Amino acid sequence: MSAAMAGRWRRDGELPFQKLDEETIVVDPKRREVHLLNETAARIWELLASPQSVDDLTAALGAEYDVGEAELGEAIVECVEGLASKGLVVTAGAR
Amino acid sequence: MAAPGRSFARAVAEAAPRCQDELIVGAEAQSSYALLGEVQGIAYARTVPLNVSLELTLNCNIRCLHCYNLDRDQPQGCHGGDGARPDLTLDEIMRLLSDLRDAGCLFLTLSGGEVFTYPHLYAVLDRARELNFAVQLLTNGTMLQPGVAARLAGYRNLLGVSVSLYGATADVHDGVTQMPGSWQRTWDGAQRLRAAGIAVRLKFIIMSPNAHQVAEMRAQAAARGFAYLVDVTITPRHDGTRGSLAMRVSEDQLADLYRGPLRDLLPTGQMPATEERFPCNCARGNCAINAKGDVHPCVSVPWAAGNVREQPFAEIWKTSPVFQKIRGLRIADYEACAPCPDKPYCSRNRGAAFNHSGSYTGTDPFVCRSAAITRDVVTSSEPPSPRAPSAANE
Repeated sequence: MSAAMAGRWRRDGELPFQKLDEETIVVDPKRREVHLLNETAARIWELLASPQSVDDLTAALGAEYDVGEAELGEAIVECVEGLASKGLVVTAGAR
Repeated sequence: MAAPGRSFARAVAEAAPRCQDELIVGAEAQSSYALLGEVQGIAYARTVPLNVSLELTLNCNIRCLHCYNLDRDQPQGCHGGDGARPDLTLDEIMRLLSDLRDAGCLFLTLSGGEVFTYPHLYAVLDRARELNFAVQLLTNGTMLQPGVAARLAGYRNLLGVSVSLYGATADVHDGVTQMPGSWQRTWDGAQRLRAAGIAVRLKFIIMSPNAHQVAEMRAQAAARGFAYLVDVTITPRHDGTRGSLAMRVSEDQLADLYRGPLRDLLPTGQMPATEERFPCNCARGNCAINAKGDVHPCVSVPWAAGNVREQPFAEIWKTSPVFQKIRGLRIADYEACAPCPDKPYCSRNRGAAFNHSGSYTGTDPFVCRSAAITRDVVTSSEPPSPRAPSAANE
């Protein structure tokens, strides 16, 4: 895990979003972007309503997915990095 | 695990024709909100009320001659008794917002009347932000005094503001609004919004008094860098009066506009009106709720599917016979439209049809003539020059 991923993350609480069955739409008016999160990314988005570390997310999702912890952790890091690169999640303590 | 933000490979039915209820301010540029069409297609296919227009008040500070709502030169409530029913209270609106959120709404359009005359607008905006709606406002722009734009810019969930304009000069615009000074105030308001970093889209309603100014209106918007929509359809009013129709462009004016300053905005006629493409998003991905709580298929079609005072929104959305009927319509059910060869050139404006004929599947001769003129122009002339990047005509 990169050092940048070591902290706690939460979603940007002011971004508009809506669940559409298992997917979630997130809108970023400032960047004029719409994102369609798949089921797993949407679940991580849901968990990031409150600050979570990657370990927190791994523990939460470990009970929901039949996958090894290492593989799950890598996937979560990839997902959170992706969300962060799009400005959808921020480090806890940021706005 | 798939990467976030990547759209699913899916077979989504080709998105239904867009209607103005679901147009997002700021989405005019092709690179903006790239997944919006796919998202709207999903809402259509799954019948999710992703786009809801909520009329907060019927009150307005101007008296537009073409107003679709009511004859503002008459006392409110003199037509159809609608004025006797109270508007939704703030508490009712707050509850409604929660219900809309639970039902799947994401894009919430707040309108009037004039939305800035509504005394609790900021309380509604605060609640909409808490509920993570993407909000846009429809306004005449005259109440966007200094300070308002900065306050609005604080709402990061605000998609933008649509501002209506009715002329290229003050005399023409103010003649329509019956409010001296309104043209300047509207432009000032639009520029204040943009200076505050808010996406603005101008909405040009083309009617008899301003038909000669269309090219100038478009040029002004382009010169000032504003996106805009153009709409030529004036409908009978929702209060049952028809005085607004006096403002419609004549057939000759329409033909001149389509051959001239609106030529590049005409549909090409190359998209056939298939069963998938013919219906709009009314009652599938869109609906509208008026100030009295009536739920309509869209802003333009005042066909009450229910009232949120009497029935939960979700129940109306799912079970209303009106909505069920609309969702089940096939092209053949539009008896006049089905055999018409001009469908590929037609706006299929359901609001005009409903308000003219009283039937959702009816027609409005103005819309039919508009389609026929479009076909004549498109099939008998050279292709237009490329569309101005800031323009949209849906």
